Amino acid sequence: MIRSSRVELRRAAVAALALAAVAAVIASAVVAEVRPSRLLDPENHAAVRALVRGLFPPDLSPSFVRVAAAATLRTAVIAVVGTALSLAIAVPLGILGTATLFRRGPLTEGERRTPSALVLATASAAARAALGFLRAMPDLVWALFFVVGVGLGPVAGVLAVAVSYGGVLGHVLAELFDTVDPRPLEALRSTGATRLQIFVFGIWPQALPSAVAYVLYSFECCVRAATVLGLVGAGGIGYELALSMRLFEYGQILTLIAALLALVWLTDAASGVLRRLLRANVPAGVLGHRRLRAVPPRASRATAAAAVAAVVIACAAAAGLFDRGVLDADAPRRMAGFVRGMFPPDLSPAYLATVVAPALQTLGTSVIGTVLGAILGAILGVAAAAPHAEDDRARRAAWLLRQALRRGCRFVLSLLRAVPEVLWVVLVFLVLVGLGPFAGTLALGVHTGGVLGKLYADTLEEVSPLVLRGLRATGAGPLHLLVWGAWPEARRMLISYTVLRWEMNVRTSTVLGIAGGGGIGIALYNAVQLGFYPQAATLIGVIYLMVAATGRLGDAVRRRLESASLHGGRR
Amino acid sequence: MIYRLDAVGKVYPSRRGDVTSLAQVSFEVAAGERVAVIGPSGSGKTTLFRLLNATLRPSSGVLRFHGRDVASQSPREARAMRRRIGTIHQQSLLVPSLTVLENTLCGALGRWSLLRALRSTFAPVRADVERALAALERVGLADKRDARADELSGGQQQRVAIARIVMQDPEVILADEPLASLDPALADAIAALLLGLAGAGRTLVCTLHDTARALALFPRVVALRAGHVAFDAASEAVSPAVLDELYRGAPLAAAALPPTRSRDPVVAC
Repeated sequence: MIRSSRVELRRAAVAALALAAVAAVIASAVVAEVRPSRLLDPENHAAVRALVRGLFPPDLSPSFVRVAAAATLRTAVIAVVGTALSLAIAVPLGILGTATLFRRGPLTEGERRTPSALVLATASAAARAALGFLRAMPDLVWALFFVVGVGLGPVAGVLAVAVSYGGVLGHVLAELFDTVDPRPLEALRSTGATRLQIFVFGIWPQALPSAVAYVLYSFECCVRAATVLGLVGAGGIGYELALSMRLFEYGQILTLIAALLALVWLTDAASGVLRRLLRANVPAGVLGHRRLRAVPPRASRATAAAAVAAVVIACAAAAGLFDRGVLDADAPRRMAGFVRGMFPPDLSPAYLATVVAPALQTLGTSVIGTVLGAILGAILGVAAAAPHAEDDRARRAAWLLRQALRRGCRFVLSLLRAVPEVLWVVLVFLVLVGLGPFAGTLALGVHTGGVLGKLYADTLEEVSPLVLRGLRATGAGPLHLLVWGAWPEARRMLISYTVLRWEMNVRTSTVLGIAGGGGIGIALYNAVQLGFYPQAATLIGVIYLMVAATGRLGDAVRRRLESASLHGGRR
Repeated sequence: MIYRLDAVGKVYPSRRGDVTSLAQVSFEVAAGERVAVIGPSGSGKTTLFRLLNATLRPSSGVLRFHGRDVASQSPREARAMRRRIGTIHQQSLLVPSLTVLENTLCGALGRWSLLRALRSTFAPVRADVERALAALERVGLADKRDARADELSGGQQQRVAIARIVMQDPEVILADEPLASLDPALADAIAALLLGLAGAGRTLVCTLHDTARALALFPRVVALRAGHVAFDAASEAVSPAVLDELYRGAPLAAAALPPTRSRDPVVAC
């Protein structure tokens, strides 16, 4: 007997899945209007060459440097205040949304179902649903909404960041609170502690290090998000970039990109320092399974908190949040009018028929963008993680070469990651392939490649060196080690990250259209700009459904992968 | 001569100063010989083994394999050498997420082209599978072929490691504490398996901390202490007094492991 039935069965399942995946990718490529021939068009090449030539020399005139600095500062300010406000949404909704406190698990078992408990359980479920909705809407869509409410300017950007990242962060916090070790909580409950006490003394201390890490990490995301909000009127780097592109002032572009990269890298570095300072670290992909305690002394924590508060208040003032007239009596009325105008949504068959094509295009873009990103990320990530032969240092030249390759790939990955998808569309792909979903797809692929490449490299580097040593002893070469050692060890994590990224890309794809990248975004942008609110409502509903459905699908896949890796797991 | 070591030394550079693991080690191993290496913890046994299977290079002295100096080897030649040497490690170094059969197939990695290695991940060549199954039969694990390596007990994992060696079919078998953490009955069974493999003209070099077993099973014993060869003698010439002398005194500190990297959260924006 050469093959057992279990292996045979698994192989058949894998083959069927692979076939379905190939079919999905081909269908996606068709609807996303993938046209590789456009990449070879000499006319487009000439345009790109003109752009690249135009980048030099960068515009470093004092007047423009002042403009760039002001734009960078404005973007940073939006991100800081947006993050601070997002906490005000995320923390209360996250706590209320914690299922173990209000809805299920050992803490609610055996409790009498009093009316107030029922109300709390319902409120808790509603909080989770609200977080899900806030999170499902792309930040640019929120920005469109707030521009209607408070007008063009940084305040609209701040509110958009606060609401959409409040949703993301609140969801993460609720999951963190849900997955803490339940034993201390039961012990607390047995002493007669109230829910609030259980939270304060049982859940909060356990979740804190991971929570801090995620808040800082969310701040990094907010900075990237803030750079693109300019496109819909919040001002800042994104706005200046789009403006310079439109004016063909390519010399300014390079200056602005340098400012953008400096801002993003500075944020990452600052957040990294804070994380190390607070010892707030989480293993990738796992919510709160490894907890680190050691926190710096109370005094330095108080100083740090005061410093952060001062920065936030200064930024809020700079963003004009305290200006009179920003949140005038009319603002809520305008937003309410906007929302009222959306009901009833336009559900006429004729309109729905026009929504189908862009919606499919958006899905197709997300699939192809993710596939391209996974390929790009795999190439760069594997090169960035190329393991050292264990005694490589002895061979100085080989060691230096490999080190240079690793560093180089890490740098390219961080460059791809630093520029948000929407800006990739504006800066590169509109010129390279023209308006349309193909530009959006390529932009998505490039940025996703940067994100996935880093995750792939980190995951591959975590593969136990002992396992690889065992294989190396059989005379296996480096690529053999990758195929037979690193891949089987890391594949679940790699697939899980890729699926997670695809879910996020579905959301991103919905707004690429605003920058000219095709899909449902442009329809939404037009509907809002022209005041067709019932149609806008329909589009928002469709976006929510797409994001929620793919999120469910992705969750199911990842849960399967995780349970499979836990089964029989040694670590 | 399979191995010839002349004043071989190994120094690990570290931030707190260099750590000397082996110094001035000289001995020879002839084809078909069975040699036990003994010595207290930290005496350099594992480092010696990693030098012998070419996953480390000596920092001083000359190590010859079949008369060739390993220091002049290219990575490709080092791999070719490793292919001829089967290594069984102290703790089993199987790939936890692969099945028993797949882990056994890994023994052939050194012979496979990259293409065959790729193809074998989903559709291994029939001849390879038959050889791997025969190897598993030999260690009594054929019925576990589709179990994941991390579902096995320690003794079972050690037997898979031996099946991998059978698959590899090397000239030299290096076994680093293959009997550690096994119960006595299992240890006897595994020792018999190893000696059976060595019987067929293969050379066997094995470290053991169980000196009684080393003396009973192996005709020759090389003893290490603090990175030096304390003695190299026929088993019957080793007296209890000599052993007592070898193991007395404070053990050296174990070589420090590289620090594990802490990790940033997922970058997802």
